[in-house]
Amino acid sequence: MVIEAEEEEEEEEEGASAVTEVNDDDFDRRPQRRRYEEPLFVQVRRQLLTIAESAARRVEDDIMGVAKSVAENYDDEELRDTFVNISLELVLEQPMKIPFVAAITLVAYNLKAELGAEVLKKAGAALQKYIDSGSWREVKLLLRFFGGLQPLFEGDGVFPLLEELFARAVDLQTASSEDLLGLELVKIIQFTIPYVMVSPAIGFESQALALLEKTDIIASTPHALVDLVNTFSPDENKEASGPSVISLLQNQLQGEASAGWELKCLPRPWKGVQEIEKDEQDPNQKPFEPVNKVSFPEINVPNPVPNGTRPLFPEVYISVYANQEIDTVPPPSDITSLLLRDALVDTINLLDFNRVATAKFLIDVDCYFTPYTFVKRATPFDRMRDLAGEGQSWKPEDIAVDAVFSQLYQLPTPEHKLVYYHSVLTECCKIAPAAIAPSLGRAIRFLYNNLETMDLELSNRFLDWFAHHLSNFGFTWKWSEWVDDLDLPAIHPKLAFVHGALDKEIRLSFAQRIKGTLLEQYIPLITEGKEKDTPEFKYLSEMTPYSKEGQEIMQLIRKKAGDEEIQPVIASIEEQAQSLGVEDPKIPSTDALVTSICFVGSKSLSHVLSCIERNKDRLLAIGPVSERARCQIITSVMEYWSDQPGIAINIIDKLLNYTIISPLSVLEWALSESLDAGTVLAKSHIYEMISATVGKVTNRMRQIVAARTQSGLYEPQLSVLDETLARERVEMQTLFRFIEDAIVSVASGSNDELMERGDGSGDLPEDAIIRQWGRRWLRVFRRKGAVEEAFITDALANATPVGTAAPPAQTDAAEDAGDDGDIKIADADEQ
Amino acid sequence: MSLLAFNTVDRLDRPSAYYAGKNKRRRYNERDEEREREQEESTSKLNNATTLYVGNLSFYTTEEQIHELFAKCGEIKRLVMGLDRFNKTPCGFCFVEYYTHQDALDCLKYVGGTKLDERIIRTDLDPGFEEGRQYGRGKSGGQVRDEYREEYDPGRGGYGRAYDEQRQREEDEYGAGR
Repeated sequence: MVIEAEEEEEEEEEGASAVTEVNDDDFDRRPQRRRYEEPLFVQVRRQLLTIAESAARRVEDDIMGVAKSVAENYDDEELRDTFVNISLELVLEQPMKIPFVAAITLVAYNLKAELGAEVLKKAGAALQKYIDSGSWREVKLLLRFFGGLQPLFEGDGVFPLLEELFARAVDLQTASSEDLLGLELVKIIQFTIPYVMVSPAIGFESQALALLEKTDIIASTPHALVDLVNTFSPDENKEASGPSVISLLQNQLQGEASAGWELKCLPRPWKGVQEIEKDEQDPNQKPFEPVNKVSFPEINVPNPVPNGTRPLFPEVYISVYANQEIDTVPPPSDITSLLLRDALVDTINLLDFNRVATAKFLIDVDCYFTPYTFVKRATPFDRMRDLAGEGQSWKPEDIAVDAVFSQLYQLPTPEHKLVYYHSVLTECCKIAPAAIAPSLGRAIRFLYNNLETMDLELSNRFLDWFAHHLSNFGFTWKWSEWVDDLDLPAIHPKLAFVHGALDKEIRLSFAQRIKGTLLEQYIPLITEGKEKDTPEFKYLSEMTPYSKEGQEIMQLIRKKAGDEEIQPVIASIEEQAQSLGVEDPKIPSTDALVTSICFVGSKSLSHVLSCIERNKDRLLAIGPVSERARCQIITSVMEYWSDQPGIAINIIDKLLNYTIISPLSVLEWALSESLDAGTVLAKSHIYEMISATVGKVTNRMRQIVAARTQSGLYEPQLSVLDETLARERVEMQTLFRFIEDAIVSVASGSNDELMERGDGSGDLPEDAIIRQWGRRWLRVFRRKGAVEEAFITDALANATPVGTAAPPAQTDAAEDAGDDGDIKIADADEQ
Repeated sequence: MSLLAFNTVDRLDRPSAYYAGKNKRRRYNERDEEREREQEESTSKLNNATTLYVGNLSFYTTEEQIHELFAKCGEIKRLVMGLDRFNKTPCGFCFVEYYTHQDALDCLKYVGGTKLDERIIRTDLDPGFEEGRQYGRGKSGGQVRDEYREEYDPGRGGYGRAYDEQRQREEDEYGAGR
């Protein structure tokens, strides 16, 4: 096994240079001879990259091995460079290995001070760059690395830099109570301290404590935005809404300080090395107290400190394994919870380019912390009962899954697309199905049981993930668990979830297939209409008004007739409607047209798109004439595809792109015309449609902001863009205000329709559920609105002011930036 | 944002060996420098690619299903189904075009190698769809891989067509001989 791996590695190394020769020796049939000699740097590279990965090897031996190989061959430049670079790359990409890389550096310094100094120099340069660019996660990881090297430094080592960062945090906090960057700095300081305290350095307790006393004021003050990003709104579920990460960590650290910095989950690989060293050397020598210490790299922290590209928000701690009858993950009172979470979350987000590797690291989490942190892999939940109690260990799978969910559930948005986190969970299940599947099952149960009070954005993410996940595993789920919930009212969040999930499953598969995966009790949920590829065309029934004209239009559209043929039939409907006293005759004619397009295009998305394309001008002309007819376009699509709403909202999305309908008309349709006393809010596809519509508008807004804030932009383009921005901003605000006004009455129970339900008392059990849907919708869209406004304000704060003329030498650049006020969208990040 | 020169684990958002290999094979006999230059060019075509080739679909997978999955990586600009060039029926591949290069890369990373319609699908960065490429290039109209496949694949028309024909012939001959 090991030998095979070595051979592969070698091939890979050669691969790059020998690409073109690979096929040359097709006729060379000599048996491949084993090549025993592998360049040393290749061997060291592999040892370093895989440090601590194998439970079968003693990590101390590898630490010693790598450090010795490099120190003894210090003159080998390639080897030295490989060592220095890979050490830093590991720090920045595989954070769980930092304590081990630090241990190697410590030993290397001991054996050859110049070598250790080279690592420090390069790490210092990287730290400076990341501070300058405001890349705070990278700063955190490098500080963690430096923290592990604390004994090498003169004086207080890493502490003065932490103090300086704290001073910046205070400045930021003093300047604005809304500041978030200061909180980020405090978090970095907090997460560095434990790693300094588990380094071989001794006697820094007072510095750590002094720093903690300072961070306390900032960390313990609740930030206004915490509630906004909480998994559970405090209004819905006070108990479940979690504390902010920094306030939690502050308490945990203070606890550790008073318990002598036990930090029992963090590995101290240098201890094992020390044992080996003691055997070999003078027993009285302290291996990690070098005689010649170095000064801490000189780092300049700009004032004020910059922030990187990612907008900051407070973080809250959430666990999908909270409140189980037996704890399987460390409780929030235990610092183990946050130390593991932090390292895992960084690993997940840093390695998004290889989900398989990410999953492997998650499954192997027990390799990177102290052995007694975890129970054996795949320990069944029931066995955890026997293991509970003093000095309890935790279930590695639950901790891994929990970390992924914390990202899937990150508000307002996680770092990567949601589907990345889906894919990580899928890979985890593929690598260790028996271990992961039960953990996922318990996570699903937790989320399902908390659907009522969970943030609505998150319960929809849960829905989307659930259906997507099942689609990767044969759609198998223990539906028996939820059978009793089928008796709940249709608008109950749990039943709404089941409905939504089945619809999503069907969208990824097909109705008949999904039916086959369900228990008998669920079969009625898959209506006959869902199994029909082509829904009926209502004009085929003579009972439908204008049925003759409807059929005619359909035939004309089918044979791709021109406008001159369609127009008379449309006119005929409108005339009849007029004579019948229909207030807006454009409504029935639009219904016939759009329903016909849907029917003729029902074969596939591209069919319906080409139908729309062919009738684009006629469709585009509807809105400007009659707002209500524009709304009818949406009604017709949604009604035709009422059994398969996924297809309907897809068509709506395309109609928005064609500007045949407007974002506001979609909102009006859903939240005014179809509000249905608020019950529409329980439908997951309606939420999906509104989110997508709002998302389209905010994305466009962000692209305009990106265009407005690009550097090298001058008048007159500045003013043109500024006007566009101001106009679109108002439109965006109109949308958010519309949602607010439409839903606030539902949430407060003052909606007319809602008040007229039942006996009008507003006390029906369902009324309370409807009001809750209203509150949850409000929370999501208020947050979205606030996030967008904050984004625009932040971005504009650093933009070139309107009126700035181009400096004479740079006129070219200004012209490039946009002619005729055309918005040039340079790589606008979709975030 | 990262200052790293290289990654500590492989990246899943690189063009596949198939793409690189295709170009290599084609210019096997050309002069070395030219070969190298063109290879660079062919890879640089992908630097801003927004299109993905998607393979190993079932013949029965619909546009809607593809849309449903692939839209998780970003808005889809265009979706072109691969068709049997004689029957004009789906033959198990498609092109998905996004608005941005980043969306296409994310799709390689997060969707390639996962399941759609209960089959593991393959994604590859593609320089862009051109008219004609939606048709299978196999002898009988479908994809080449479905001509000689010896395994039975119910989602892709059973046995490979050429293989199946030969099998049928042999069976008939055997029957006739008896």
